[in-house]
Amino acid sequence: MNLRFKRLISQVFFLFFTNLGFKIENVFPGIKTGFCYPLFLCHACPAATSACPLRAIEIGVFKGNWNWRFILWPILIVSFVGVVTGRAICGWACPIGLLQRVTGKVPQKLKKKYPVLKKIGQLRIEPFFRYIKYILFLGLVVIIPIYIGFMFTDVCPIGFLVGTIPISVLDPGGFTPNEFYYIALTIFVLFIILIFIIERGWCRYFCPIGAMFAPFNKISIYYINVNKDECVHCNACSLVCPMAIDIPNMNRDPECILCGKCIDKCPKNVISFERSI
Amino acid sequence: MKTIAVVQIALLIIISGAGVGMLVYTDVYDEIHDTIVSTLCLSCIKLDPVSRLDFVFETANDKPHPEFVLKNLTTGPIFIEYRTDVCAACDDMAPIVKEIFHVSFEKTDTLYKLVDYNGSTVHFYHINLDHATQEQEDSFPIYDKDHRQGVPMFVIITVKYHRGIIEPCYTAAYGTVGQATEEGRKQLLEDMIDDGLNLYEQNKAGYKYP
Repeated sequence: MNLRFKRLISQVFFLFFTNLGFKIENVFPGIKTGFCYPLFLCHACPAATSACPLRAIEIGVFKGNWNWRFILWPILIVSFVGVVTGRAICGWACPIGLLQRVTGKVPQKLKKKYPVLKKIGQLRIEPFFRYIKYILFLGLVVIIPIYIGFMFTDVCPIGFLVGTIPISVLDPGGFTPNEFYYIALTIFVLFIILIFIIERGWCRYFCPIGAMFAPFNKISIYYINVNKDECVHCNACSLVCPMAIDIPNMNRDPECILCGKCIDKCPKNVISFERSI
Repeated sequence: MKTIAVVQIALLIIISGAGVGMLVYTDVYDEIHDTIVSTLCLSCIKLDPVSRLDFVFETANDKPHPEFVLKNLTTGPIFIEYRTDVCAACDDMAPIVKEIFHVSFEKTDTLYKLVDYNGSTVHFYHINLDHATQEQEDSFPIYDKDHRQGVPMFVIITVKYHRGIIEPCYTAAYGTVGQATEEGRKQLLEDMIDDGLNLYEQNKAGYKYP
């Protein structure tokens, strides 16, 4: 079984496992826990089992009313997973990662058809775009809630996708748009456009959970290693990398989601999963 | 052993220890479960519940009305505002409630006051679920008419004729009560209270505290 298929099984398993909160009258009570997801999924989804770590942090810092438990709990959960797997959760478990996997073929085809899209990835400032997710995390999830109030959850496109849309369908006429609805709808449309024109565009540039996990790639137990002595720099790996990483020169890159596409593609078999303990 | 392996093991021990410690010695699991996972996050869904102000007799979870409600109904209808410490819509609605009933409270307060509303007596409760008594906390699912499980929730409990007797009935509004403006929100709450008061005036003579 190749890595691609194993990863698909893992993603489908986590999609199912993270959505056991759906209640079916007299059949299934729904499982709701007090854990935070170590991935991107909104607790507003009728099927959600756990809390979004970003919301927990937002509540923890809300208007300077420090609730250390709500801050520490999601950070500990993310840190534990991060130390073990690094950002592999993005590639192997996150349902939004699965969504981008499904849409991933489109940007690949568009890149061939419209060279301008290829040039986005080659821009010299492109690596700086990747810092946007850290700014979003610190700005919208931490700093703005301290001084003003909730912000990220008010406009989060994932909340719109898995919360707003299903609830509107399940209870038509039961709700009315609030003041942030149309801003969130615009951001959601931009999110959809983004994932159709840039492969893993959300993970690369905007995902605040990815920003939380990224530093752990530097110290994670599992990581992807390139045997630089035997690498022939054919760049076959970089061409298939959904995160557009320069893999032959990579050393525990914070952007790597450990999807293993490079391992499957390497003609010399010099790229491998490694475990440091 | 490599330095990185030592760092990894040390981090795993610290993180696991802190995580298990929090799970065992704090209420964080229940707090996250009750305040985030089991509560509909209106901010996350970018929607406000539409308020259907019809009065109903059946409690939302089929449990009996709490004692403090049944007792107070002998002297006037009851208005309850439910909120939590961290709730943006509650912060928006609190000044409107204060203005309607001429009361003052801090958001962390749990307050009961007999207030005068346009010459009528209303039992006013401001219940912060993070600081409420067990009886007050248990009353929240009882009056969650549309099963929104979200705050703020505004409830008016009054009495009405039902199957030959006068019984308690109630209605609930949620969030920013589906109104975009402050005037609209105030108007809807006042309409709700007026309806409750009218019913009370018409039926109070027949209400008997069980």
